[in-house]
Amino acid sequence: MVRQFEVERFYYEEAALLDAHRYEEWLALFSEDTYYFMPIRRTRMRRELDKEFTQPGEMAFFDDTKAQLASRVGKLATGRSWSEDPPSRTRHLITNIRVVQDNGEELDVESNFHLYRTRLKSEEDSWIGSRKDTLRRVEGSFQIARRTIFLEQTVLLSRNLSNFF
Amino acid sequence: METAPSGSPATSALDIDSLVSTETGHIDRRIYSDPEIFELEIERIFGRAWLFLCHESQIPEPGDFFESVMGRDNVLVVRQKDGGIKGLLNTCMHRGNAVCRAEEGNAKSFLCTYHGWSYGIDGALTGVPGYRDFYGSELDRTKIHLREVAQIANFKGFIFGTHDESAPPLEEYLGATGRLGLNLLAARGDLEVVPGIQKFVIDCNWKFALDNLFDWYHPQVTHASAFQSGAIAGRPARAATRNEGAMDMTGVVMESGDDLGVPVGEITGRPFDQVVVLGEYGHAIGGPTRSSPGNVELNHSWRDQPGVAETLGPIGIDVAGHPSIFPTTWITTTSQLSLRIPRGPSETEIWWFTFVDRKASPEFRRFIVGLANRIFGPAGVLEQDDGENWAQSTMQTHGAASREIPNLINMGLGRGQIIKEHGLARIESTTNEHAQLWTYRSWARWMQGLDWADLGEQTTPGDSI
Repeated sequence: MVRQFEVERFYYEEAALLDAHRYEEWLALFSEDTYYFMPIRRTRMRRELDKEFTQPGEMAFFDDTKAQLASRVGKLATGRSWSEDPPSRTRHLITNIRVVQDNGEELDVESNFHLYRTRLKSEEDSWIGSRKDTLRRVEGSFQIARRTIFLEQTVLLSRNLSNFF
Repeated sequence: METAPSGSPATSALDIDSLVSTETGHIDRRIYSDPEIFELEIERIFGRAWLFLCHESQIPEPGDFFESVMGRDNVLVVRQKDGGIKGLLNTCMHRGNAVCRAEEGNAKSFLCTYHGWSYGIDGALTGVPGYRDFYGSELDRTKIHLREVAQIANFKGFIFGTHDESAPPLEEYLGATGRLGLNLLAARGDLEVVPGIQKFVIDCNWKFALDNLFDWYHPQVTHASAFQSGAIAGRPARAATRNEGAMDMTGVVMESGDDLGVPVGEITGRPFDQVVVLGEYGHAIGGPTRSSPGNVELNHSWRDQPGVAETLGPIGIDVAGHPSIFPTTWITTTSQLSLRIPRGPSETEIWWFTFVDRKASPEFRRFIVGLANRIFGPAGVLEQDDGENWAQSTMQTHGAASREIPNLINMGLGRGQIIKEHGLARIESTTNEHAQLWTYRSWARWMQGLDWADLGEQTTPGDSI
């Protein structure tokens, strides 16, 4: 119960940082060896569902190391990142949090998310999906050592993905 | 399909010639949002042009299929048992339902889930439920076949199709410019497509996405944040140094009044560092030369491989810009091919195919895939800012007053002296808008519904642009 509470609190704090545009602090939640991956999903027949998602080494929407995530955060901080200036308004809802494995040092955690975004006067995006994270215990809290994001879309129905999941 | 005569009601009402002026470089903004013009594009451009469908490496085994798009037609590109490739319209010959709902995969047959008509992977009708009892065996099943795309052809592994059976052969349609464009990708080795086609929708007209591909005026501003932050290389930026001939940003200030502070040294070069190649049917290549400091090609060692100089030719070997196969195919210096698929006047689907040499080292493969994932696509540090421009540009063409303002494609207007050598028509220049104007000029010729001979003749480059 304590572990579940700690993991949930970690995710809520993370979501709050993103929605407040506190990207540097958000970045600090990731380990130096992190891998942030959002595969491409494809509509396949049920018998070929094992090929639904692309794998690391293949094409993806996000395929980032810590340095690459840092450069995205740096891009937002330039004041010239036009797809986010004026900034989007986002709300991250994190639910269905399940610790599926715990070896003491690292936890495999699955969660669902709803990222709602409005932008400028009339633009609205909504992304729902799931995340599979590896959380590493560090100094009484966690670091995200690996995150894979699975969207419930194949053809992405938005003009960009300029936000973090 | 027959082409519409130029005196049909649609053209007389529209007066295509008034929409694009090569004299002034003025483009009528209605072409980006008018539904009537869009419908005419579907008929006169997408109903006739050779369109890229997929690469043969995506469908290696019999029954492998990839669903592509030609105008508003969904097309199944299917590997046959004899190794050939067919393009089949994804619509049942009975009542039109799709016979395949997956984007890609392997099929033994295609089943219509409405009444159960089934087809072989060659499109032949193999099963009709109730054939004897309900149809009284009177349906001539041998004459019913999934409709094949009028022509399909393979250029070095790149599969194209056209709805027009009278269209010239693909190689002739591509011409020297289109073939060079594809060779700038094909010459990189024994190519295969990296699994995963990025697909996303931008609320813009397809022509904004098209003319941007050889727009070398925008990166310094549109992509300032990506250059400044080092996000393209995926590492912190080094200090920019100002190159000779870098874009003059004097007087460019932000809403805050601050200087825009663009790191010009990273991405611009000397004057006369660009080469533009213009071709029949509207194909064009525009951008830096190989030796120019403005060259953004991160790896061009492939150009030194045996046979590449002969394939590309003396002009092509130095071309490091962006080829466009009219209407919607863009080949990048990053070993990728992008489609700008029109879904409506204000809606365009972007697809990205990424290619790598089968014999490439694991390190080089990682480099190509990593770069592609980082810079293009919806999360790409370059492309996420492009969509913002194209969507807003499209939106402003709806205003009654705003749409009366012409868009300007007039940089270097009339100064593009065309040099014809080695079968190519080229312009040597600094940053310019010649390739964009050539694209719109050719677009207008297509929209007039000319026959193929006239279209080829009227889209042959002259002495200047």
